[in-house]
Amino acid sequence: MYKYILETAGNINWMALFALITFMIVFVVSVVFVITKSSKQIKYMADLPLLSDDTNNDNN
Amino acid sequence: MSNSETFKYDDKIVRNFAIATAIWGLVGMVVGLYIALQLIFPALNFTAETSFGRLRPLHTNAVIFAFVGNGIFMGVYYSLQRLLKARMFSDILSKFNFWGWQTIILLAAITLPLGITSSHEYAELEWPIDLLIALVWISFGINMFGTILKRRENHLYVAIWFYIATWVTVTVLHVFNNLVIPVSLTNSIPVFAGVQDALIQWWYGHNAVAFFLTTPYLGLMYYFLPKAANRPVYSYKLSIIHFWGLIFIYIWAGPHHLLYTSLPDWAQSLGTAFSIMLIAPSWGGMLNGLLTLRGAWDRVRTDPILKFMVVAISAYGMATLEGPLLSIKSINAISHFTDWTVAHVHVGTLGWNGMLTFGILYWIIPKLYRTKLHSLKLANTHFWIATLGTLFYTIPLYWAGWTQSLMWAQFEPDGFLTYGNFLETVTQIIPMYSMRAIGGTIYVIGVFIMAYNLWKTAKTGKVENTEVSFPPRVETIAHKGDYWHKWIERRPIQMLLVATVLVLIGGIVEVFPMLMIDKNVPKIASVQPYTPLELEGRDIYISEGCVGCHSQMIRPFRSETERYGDFSKSGEFIYDRPFLWGSKRTGPDLHRIGAKYPDSWHYNHMLDPTSMSPGSIMPAYPWLFKRKINTDYTAAKIRVLQTLNTPYGQNYADIAVQDLEKQAKKIADGLIAGGVDQEELETKQIIALIAYLQRLGTDAKANVIKE
Repeated sequence: MYKYILETAGNINWMALFALITFMIVFVVSVVFVITKSSKQIKYMADLPLLSDDTNNDNN
Repeated sequence: MSNSETFKYDDKIVRNFAIATAIWGLVGMVVGLYIALQLIFPALNFTAETSFGRLRPLHTNAVIFAFVGNGIFMGVYYSLQRLLKARMFSDILSKFNFWGWQTIILLAAITLPLGITSSHEYAELEWPIDLLIALVWISFGINMFGTILKRRENHLYVAIWFYIATWVTVTVLHVFNNLVIPVSLTNSIPVFAGVQDALIQWWYGHNAVAFFLTTPYLGLMYYFLPKAANRPVYSYKLSIIHFWGLIFIYIWAGPHHLLYTSLPDWAQSLGTAFSIMLIAPSWGGMLNGLLTLRGAWDRVRTDPILKFMVVAISAYGMATLEGPLLSIKSINAISHFTDWTVAHVHVGTLGWNGMLTFGILYWIIPKLYRTKLHSLKLANTHFWIATLGTLFYTIPLYWAGWTQSLMWAQFEPDGFLTYGNFLETVTQIIPMYSMRAIGGTIYVIGVFIMAYNLWKTAKTGKVENTEVSFPPRVETIAHKGDYWHKWIERRPIQMLLVATVLVLIGGIVEVFPMLMIDKNVPKIASVQPYTPLELEGRDIYISEGCVGCHSQMIRPFRSETERYGDFSKSGEFIYDRPFLWGSKRTGPDLHRIGAKYPDSWHYNHMLDPTSMSPGSIMPAYPWLFKRKINTDYTAAKIRVLQTLNTPYGQNYADIAVQDLEKQAKKIADGLIAGGVDQEELETKQIIALIAYLQRLGTDAKANVIKE
C-alpha cells in the first residue's frame, strides 16, 4: 500500500534527501565547530553556571 | 565595577514554582497510586468521576504538565536569570505564567474526572483550556526571550539552547495536535481523521516526551549538575553536539508508536531509523552528565543531591537505550500494548524526571530560603526509598508485559490459541500489578518524606530576592575568523530560527505526505459514517476513557487475527475523529467487537463485567444506565462533520435526533424483548454505547476497495 501512497502523493523523494542532507550538514558543521573551537572559549562557556553565582548570597 | 548595575533576581517566582512542583508531584503520584490499586481492586471505581478511565489521563497530565511542568518553570526561572545576569523580563508575565499554569492544572483536575476529554493521549484537555495553555506558553516565551534580549552576558550557555528548542517545539506541537472544530464549550471534533489523526497525535505524543520531559530537563541537568557538583560540565563540546543532534533527530521518532498499525510502512520505517539514531546523542548527553562527576565520586557517596542526579542520569541512559530498542519492529511486536511500555515510561518519569526534580528541589529550596536543609538523613532516606520504589514499580511491570505478550501469542499444536480467553492473560499478571502498587506506594512515601523535609527547611528561612551587581553587556564586535557557532550562540533570535527550521524539517517531511494523500487513502466502499446514535455512543466511549484500556487496532499477526478477527486497515478509520487506536491493552482489542455478542451481553457486561466475565477487573458503569443521552449537540456534531467532508445527506443534521431516537428505540425494544426490565431504556446512555460497540469493525467485512 505504501508504494501506492507514495506514487499518488507526488514526488516527495526530495524531502527525504533534503532532510538527510540537512542533518548531515548540521552534524558535520557542529563537529567541525567543536573541534576548531579554542579551548579558552570552551572553558569560559563551560564555567558560566559556576561564574555567575549570586555575588551577594553566601549560600550560593 | 564602577559601571555595575545593581538589581535583584526574582527568586519569589522560583519559590512559587518549587512549591507547586512538590505539591502537584504528590497529587499526581497519589492519583497514579490510586489507579494502580483500581487494577487490583476494581471496587475502588466508586463513581463515574473516580473511575479508572477518567483518572488515568488525570494522572498522566498531572505528573507531566503539573509536576514536571512546574519543575521546568522552577529550573528555567532560576537558571535563566543567573546565566544571563538579568532579572526576568516582566514580573507581570512571570506571575501570569505561574497563576495561568496553576489555573490550567485546576481546570484539568475538574474537567478530566467529569469526562471532558479530547482523548488524544497527553493532550486530553478540551479546546478552551488548550487556548489558555497557548496563552500561558506564549507569555512564558515572551518572558524568556525578553530576558535573553536584555541580558548582561554575551554568551548563551547550552542550557538556554535547550530551553529555546523546548519552547519552539512545544508551541508547534501544541498547535498542530489540537486543531479542532468546537461543537460546544466541552466538546470538539479534530480536523484530522483516522490514520492522519494517529500520525499527528503520536508525532505530538512522542515529542511531548522528547520536548517536555527531556530537552528542558537536559537544560536543567546542564545547569544544576555543575552547580551541585561545583565543577563544570565534563565536555562542553559534547554538549553542543548533544544539542544539535538531539533536537534534529528527536522530532522524527513519533511513528515508532504506530508500528504494525495501519500507518504506511514508509512512515513506520522512518520512525524506527531515527529512533535508533537517537541512541547516539542521548548517550552522549548521559555520559557527559556522569563524567561531570569525575573526581567527585567520593561526594556522591555522601551528598543526596548528587545521588539523586546520578540515578536520574542513569535512568535517562537506560530509558533512551530501551526506547530505540522498543522501536525495532520485532521487539515492538512483543512490547506494544503491554505493560512493558508502562514500565519503560516509568523508568523515564520516576527515574529521570522524578529523581532530577528531587535533586534540584533539595538543592534549590535551601538556597532560596537562605538556610540549610532540615535533614540530610531524611534526604538520604528518600533517595533509597525512591530508588527502591522505582525498582519495585518497574521490574514487576516488565515481567507482566513479557508474560502477557507471550500468552497472547501462544498456540497449541492443533493451531488454536492456548489462552483464547483474553481474561486469562489478565488474571495471570494481577500479582505483578500488586507488586507494582507496592513499588508505587514506596515511591510516594518517599515524596511525602521530601515534602516534610522541604517544609521544615522552608520554615527556618525566608525567601528574599537576591541582590546582585553586574556591568551591562558590551556587544563584542565580530572578528574575522569567528566561526558560525560563536556568531549564533550570541544571537538568540537566530538560534530560535535555526532550531525551528531543524525541528520543522522532521515534522514536515513526516506529516506533510500524510496530509497530501488525504484523498488517496484507499477507501473501503462499505465503510460508512457513524449514525447519530453511534456518534453519541462514541463520545461516551471517549468520555469514559475506554481507550485507556482497549485498543482498536488489530495488528497483522496471526495471534491477533486469530483472537480478534481480520487485521485493521487504514480505510476503516476515515470517519474516526478522533482516532481511537489506543496504546495499551488492559482489556482486549475492540476493533471487531461489533456483532460478536448480542446487545444483552453488552448491557449486562457494562452493568457488572464480572457477570459476563468472572474475574474481570473492568469497572462497572452503573451511571450509563441512569444518565440520558445528550442530544443537544447531535445536530451540531453532524454539521461539523459535514464541513470536514463526512458524507451525510444534505440537511441530515435536521433529522439526526429523530434517527437517533429511532435506532435507540430499536435496540431498547430488542433488550426488553430479551427480558431486560428498565423504564425509558431507549433514552439511556448505555443504548448509545451499545450501538457504537455493535458497529465497530463491521463495515469492512466486504473488503471492497475502491478508488
